[in-house]
Amino acid sequence: MSRRLDEGAPSWGAREDHTVLHKDTPRVSAAGKVRGTAEYSMDKRPEGLLYGRLVCVQIPNAEVSVDLAPALAIDGVEAAVVLREGRTRYNGQAVAAVAARTPELADDGARAVQLDVTPHEWAVTHAQATAERAPQVDDERPNRGPRGRRGTHGDEEATEAALEGAEVVVETEYYVPVQHHASLEPHGVVADFRGGDEATVYASTQVVFGIPGSAARELGLKRRDVRCVTEHMGGGFGSKFSMDVAGRAACKLAKETGRPVYLFNDRVQEFQTAGNRSGSLQTLRAGAKADGTLCALHTVMDKLGGLGRGPGARQPYIYEAESSYTAEFAVHTHTDSSRAMRAPGHPQVSFAIESTLDQLAYGLGMDLVEIRKRNLASEVYHRQLDRVAREIGWDDHPHRTAPGRGDGWTAEGIGFGVATWGGGGRPGAVAEVRIDPGGGVVASIGVQDIGTGVRTLVAMIAAEELGLRAEDVLPRIGDTNLPRGVGSGGSVTTGSVSPVVKSAAWRARHAFAEHLAPILGCEAEAVVFRDGEVHGGEKKLSFGEACASLPPEGLAAQGEWIEELQASGVHGAQAARVRVDLMTGEVKVLKMVAVQDSGLVLNPLTWRSQVNGSMIQAIGQALYEERVMDPDLGLQLNANLGDYKIPGSLEIPELVSIIDEEDTRQAPIGVGEPPVIPGVGAIANAVHNACGARVTSLPLTPDKVLEALASLG
Amino acid sequence: MKRERQAEGAPSSLSRRSFLKGAGGAAAGGVLAGELASAATTKAGSGPARTLEDKVTVALRLNGEPLELEVEPRTTLLSALRVSAGHTAAKPVCERGNCGACTVLMDDEPVYSCLTLAVRAAGKDVRTAGGLAEGEELSPVQQAMVDEDGMMCGFCTPGFVMSVTACLEKNPRATDAEVRAACSGNLCRCGTYPHVFSAALEAGRQMVAQDEGGGGRPGGGR
Repeated sequence: MSRRLDEGAPSWGAREDHTVLHKDTPRVSAAGKVRGTAEYSMDKRPEGLLYGRLVCVQIPNAEVSVDLAPALAIDGVEAAVVLREGRTRYNGQAVAAVAARTPELADDGARAVQLDVTPHEWAVTHAQATAERAPQVDDERPNRGPRGRRGTHGDEEATEAALEGAEVVVETEYYVPVQHHASLEPHGVVADFRGGDEATVYASTQVVFGIPGSAARELGLKRRDVRCVTEHMGGGFGSKFSMDVAGRAACKLAKETGRPVYLFNDRVQEFQTAGNRSGSLQTLRAGAKADGTLCALHTVMDKLGGLGRGPGARQPYIYEAESSYTAEFAVHTHTDSSRAMRAPGHPQVSFAIESTLDQLAYGLGMDLVEIRKRNLASEVYHRQLDRVAREIGWDDHPHRTAPGRGDGWTAEGIGFGVATWGGGGRPGAVAEVRIDPGGGVVASIGVQDIGTGVRTLVAMIAAEELGLRAEDVLPRIGDTNLPRGVGSGGSVTTGSVSPVVKSAAWRARHAFAEHLAPILGCEAEAVVFRDGEVHGGEKKLSFGEACASLPPEGLAAQGEWIEELQASGVHGAQAARVRVDLMTGEVKVLKMVAVQDSGLVLNPLTWRSQVNGSMIQAIGQALYEERVMDPDLGLQLNANLGDYKIPGSLEIPELVSIIDEEDTRQAPIGVGEPPVIPGVGAIANAVHNACGARVTSLPLTPDKVLEALASLG
Repeated sequence: MKRERQAEGAPSSLSRRSFLKGAGGAAAGGVLAGELASAATTKAGSGPARTLEDKVTVALRLNGEPLELEVEPRTTLLSALRVSAGHTAAKPVCERGNCGACTVLMDDEPVYSCLTLAVRAAGKDVRTAGGLAEGEELSPVQQAMVDEDGMMCGFCTPGFVMSVTACLEKNPRATDAEVRAACSGNLCRCGTYPHVFSAALEAGRQMVAQDEGGGGRPGGGR
């Protein structure tokens, strides 16, 4: 876009004027990633590096004492520390750590640490925790108690009365198991401390500015003397908001040895201790009027957050219910606390309410799209539902008001889901745009890029403002020595970062124009930056020539938070088409369509990647993923990527990710979380629509599908 | 607790060596003995390796360059590359052949370097994502992955690049189904698959065009 000075205040401008924004732009880190030269925290190799390993107790509820001596007797093991003694409360809890000259020696050391473990009775499943005479998990709270201060929401009496008067009532119990983040780069750090009064911590984290304080405490340093660097980051999905025990242990070992220490979880530790989405058990009693209006929804919901209490989302989720009542309970088990995971709490409640709506629709003989529109106030959802219905082939589908039966061998069905999220920004971030006499433009903000592509957005925003291409701007991110960024949670990164980068670039352009006006012989207001050139009056300069006129220190501008440069509140609808093998119960997703609004989409290419990836994670939750706990052993049986199945290349359907271009808000909104929500319900509904099998327990494995088919008679 | 150096010759309650000899070392040693004798080049003057105790020197070619690594016999190729050689293109994720993030090509065949002992790579041509580009010019697979956004966090990317490269070097006309099968040993948690597949098909087209045009690198291979 060509930029003039007379605009008054920064704005994103009209979409048709953009030359960089809103255009497919390969991510600026892409070449490094395909060459394997992009340095993740795990790839850092400071001189004198030691390799650490955690020692974890494999009993869920125990008293533990630790003997480090056998580990320290191994030649090559340089240090060992006790992290915890006494009571341990979940399987995989770290109690010690060792550091050695090689990773192999660190494994030897970890194996050699002697643990004296006195087991106590445990409760690792919902059934165990809620049984009579169950061991109390938390000294302060019952195993199953009201979640939050009130524990209930809505008017139970009115809801019961409305259920009495409903045309159709369905009651169903839904089970959502614990799911894992399974980020590929494990949790951990390389703590570069060499015994002085400062340190650099290379962390795999979603919040670089949260690391120095924690690391400084362990290292006995001042917070300001600890720097955190996260150049590239191998996935987090909500699980990496602290340094974790791996990071704390690395710092302790570094302090002990005066040498840099590398310590990342192994894969089993990742599953046992470093991130899960809470499970839930929900019983929904729902009533609808003859016209499809959801007149009553009564919900009892147990949230399975392990030692935590699970996230807050609840029924009737995005739908309007004339009356509703929810009783929420937190059920505690001897398992690690759940963490934020991509749209915390939303997929669980979405799965249950979407499943319930379909059952009501079938009970009334009503079209599945129509019942949703009937109970959604926003017209945005209506248009999005129409669009996904069209894309998935709903109009030609034979089973729009009653489930099909298939041809005896297979059956095809379609399902829908709808979701919301916030995604707006928040104040607090700072950005700087610097223009050098040599022609370089550097846009700096300390925020980390967890894979969403924010690094590329930083370059694109500055380039758009200065009439350059994205590759002409060097984005510097992921470093607490840079201007302050935000944590990557709640889909707030784009909304928080974009306004301050925009503001910095706008101010840099203004300052540059003031500087160039006398050179060009025109007013500053007449200076235009366009296509790598600067125009003013009758003259023009290349951007490089213009930069050469700057003083040696160049020009820099800081950006400030401007609320109008971001927006909040998104809508999305998805449809899934599946094929069910009626003989084996296998479910294959054939196609999914997402229509999603998120304001001004700054980079459609990386936007589509995110929305595709969300649908793929939903396929995982719907069909494959479940933490399996053995109640007798107290162990997770599938704490590895072989037995805990996430979607692979043979399970990827045709995916269509569509920007809702009717959303004309001229400001960006984050899209990391919302599209992961509706797919699970859509897939479960598609299975039901195909063959009448209503599976109410995730994942939809072949055995459950066959059982549901058998119950149809 | 920091390690206090033991006096020379002081006994230790459990050393790595006795552990390996005692627990499974015999079985592993049986497998290894043949490999070590035939494949691994041992340190000059030390004679052929007979036990797991000694370090061995492994000579291989990494991305076309000769490389000598001194490793323990149990060291995986992944660990040898990342720790001994400081070459971090291949990523450690599962360490048990579940995810493919550590995929490298050994004499043009994709292998999980986490399940390949370094000694098995002796005398072999090992290629990683770090060895595909020629200077600034990315390989067709790499360039297509960039253009199609065949990555998000990117931690799986070097592994996918190698699996796709191996597939297309054998057959640049690989179909969508063949590309998916070639990637079936690689996991991506961000869910980048659709863009990886479209990138692979585009790279195949580029490689065919280069072949037919007679210019450029034939098939992207070596």
